[in-house]
Amino acid sequence: MSNILHKLTPPPSWQVPVVVVSGILFGLALYLVYVSNAVSYLSDNPTTCINCHVMNPQYATWFHSSHRERASCNDCHVPQDNVFNKYFFKAKDGLRHATMFTLRLEPQVIIIKEAGAEVVQQNCVRCHNELITDNKMLSKSLSFDHFRTEGRKCWECHREVPHGRVNSLSSVPNAQIPQTKTPIPAWINNLLKSKTKN
Amino acid sequence: MNKKRSPLLNWVLFFATLIVVFFLGLLASSVTERRAEQQTTWKPEVQIAKFEPRNEVWGKNYPTEYNSYEKMKESNFRSKYNGNAKIDMLEVDPRLVVMWAGYGFSIDYNQGRGHAYAIEDLRNTLRTGGPTGPDDGPMPSTCWTCKGPDVPRIMNEEGVAAYYTGKWARLGAEIVNPIGCADCHNNETMELQISRPALVEAFQRQGKDITTATHQEMRSLVCAQCHVEYYFDKHREGAEGVNYLTFPWDNGQSVEAMEAYYDAKEFSDWTHKLSKAPMLKAQHPGYETYLTGVHAKRGVSCADCHMPYMSEGGKKFTDHHIQSPLNNLENSCMVCHKEKTAQLINDVYERQDKIIENRDILEKLCVRLHVEAKMAWDLGATDAQMKAILMDIRHAQWRWDYAAASHGASFHSPVEISRVIAGAINIAQEGRIKLARLLIELGYKGEVPYPNITTKTLAQEYIGLPMEKLIEEKETFKKNLLSQWEKEAEAREASMPVIYNK
Repeated sequence: MSNILHKLTPPPSWQVPVVVVSGILFGLALYLVYVSNAVSYLSDNPTTCINCHVMNPQYATWFHSSHRERASCNDCHVPQDNVFNKYFFKAKDGLRHATMFTLRLEPQVIIIKEAGAEVVQQNCVRCHNELITDNKMLSKSLSFDHFRTEGRKCWECHREVPHGRVNSLSSVPNAQIPQTKTPIPAWINNLLKSKTKN
Repeated sequence: MNKKRSPLLNWVLFFATLIVVFFLGLLASSVTERRAEQQTTWKPEVQIAKFEPRNEVWGKNYPTEYNSYEKMKESNFRSKYNGNAKIDMLEVDPRLVVMWAGYGFSIDYNQGRGHAYAIEDLRNTLRTGGPTGPDDGPMPSTCWTCKGPDVPRIMNEEGVAAYYTGKWARLGAEIVNPIGCADCHNNETMELQISRPALVEAFQRQGKDITTATHQEMRSLVCAQCHVEYYFDKHREGAEGVNYLTFPWDNGQSVEAMEAYYDAKEFSDWTHKLSKAPMLKAQHPGYETYLTGVHAKRGVSCADCHMPYMSEGGKKFTDHHIQSPLNNLENSCMVCHKEKTAQLINDVYERQDKIIENRDILEKLCVRLHVEAKMAWDLGATDAQMKAILMDIRHAQWRWDYAAASHGASFHSPVEISRVIAGAINIAQEGRIKLARLLIELGYKGEVPYPNITTKTLAQEYIGLPMEKLIEEKETFKKNLLSQWEKEAEAREASMPVIYNK
């Protein structure tokens, strides 16, 4: 082990370039973390989801729904059973979305995939448990899944909940939604502005 | 260089580089942002003049829309029954040849391609014949009316009635740009506007004002300038003898209302070669039939499905690749319908299959009507004996054509189209009962044989079409007059300036 480390350690005459190159790498990495708002992805804040503008219609429709008062994006779209599962699913889904967005592969009409739909369904049940509970027996009605849903999801009947029925990247062109802030600090912008004025 | 550098110096160097790179990144961000601003600030490249017919000139200012418009040059999609590929419909269904005997459609009829081919396909179809000069050929100038944005330009120069005067060949060198921008858009505001007088006049006669239409209604009405039933009125006050393009909507837009309109005027498109019936040719009542369907009733416009909204880079625009939604289900149907693609396609085909089942029966009845009526004439039937029968033939085939020529109607309005076809089957059979009585009276016993019309060639021979001569005339036209038109048009457009903004 110490042998490998020894081999990786640059000779003394290479110290400066190696330190500079590492500085560049770490600087770029830090910049990427900063400019992509990466830290925000750890939070539950819904504005995180509109870091990419393709989610604007989903944000705008949620924002005008009653769910806004109680449930954030994550409350429905990532598992809430335990913290590991939550971040695992979030990372898996998020990396897929980031890849699609970067490669410009997003479809005009975004439709939820089976894995995502399953999570949402579980979260519907998590909050609206009392709706599917037989209050006479005070236990979850076993027959509910089998006889009443037959494998259907809640929103196959509750079709407006919460994103409405018209689904397209262009369905809410005039929605007022929070804009992603410029990553450039105000003082640099001011500096650049005063430069251009002169 | 020192063999032993202080580790502190190394750390200082490391963090200094890191900070410099980070701020360089921010500077790069700023540059990218400013460049993006430049792209999103819209600057028109050219000035678009009123009546500018060249789509590519408009395209310079609206590249996103124009790029999608250009995709209409694709002709590689075939759905179960239609699509954007050229299909010889007379070959697919040779019964049509007999049903249209004596009329241009029996010579040549293809599944239409995209708007971008409007001019090319009209020049090439045998229906427009082989004119040798501006006053020659079977078709009037009115036939150009739906073919492109040169039409409003010429109407403006000549006047509407004067434009409708003369032969098709008269305007061959003038109308060269296929259906495009100026047909639907205002050149200054880009708002949707009606460029063809026939639709405005039809609204006026119904006591409606088309200028009060909402934007959503306009997203269908611009299509209704052409995708409607129409005829050439030769008795229009002040324009007698002119082929004045008119929509027969005065009594309404149902199959019965338009039929009553034509019957009252004793109008017929042609006299059938076999049965001598005064026939009506339904053109393409796509808009009228769409209005009776559930999508129209829920406020869905033509453009919502055939030109769905798109978004690129967060910018919303309308897809100008006008096409069958069956080739674009993900962006059209699925905006509202959450079912799977295959399921949605199946829903469409199911309606089409069921309607074509009865349409086929009706077609065979129409062929029999013409053949049996011809037999009656051959056996010496009189006009008085034939009168009611000929009206049945007219009404049955008009209904068939209303259902068939409206193309998408078996999906747009399946219930109405089923009703129309069912009604027509009854009329056709009533006519055949009258014919059977008459044939017995004339001494004919047994069944009048159904002709052997299994192919287009056989059917065209049966009705006596000189196909070789017609094809030869067309080839001569292409070699001589058509190349002359192209040269004239090129010279004219070269002298039309394109003014670039500085």
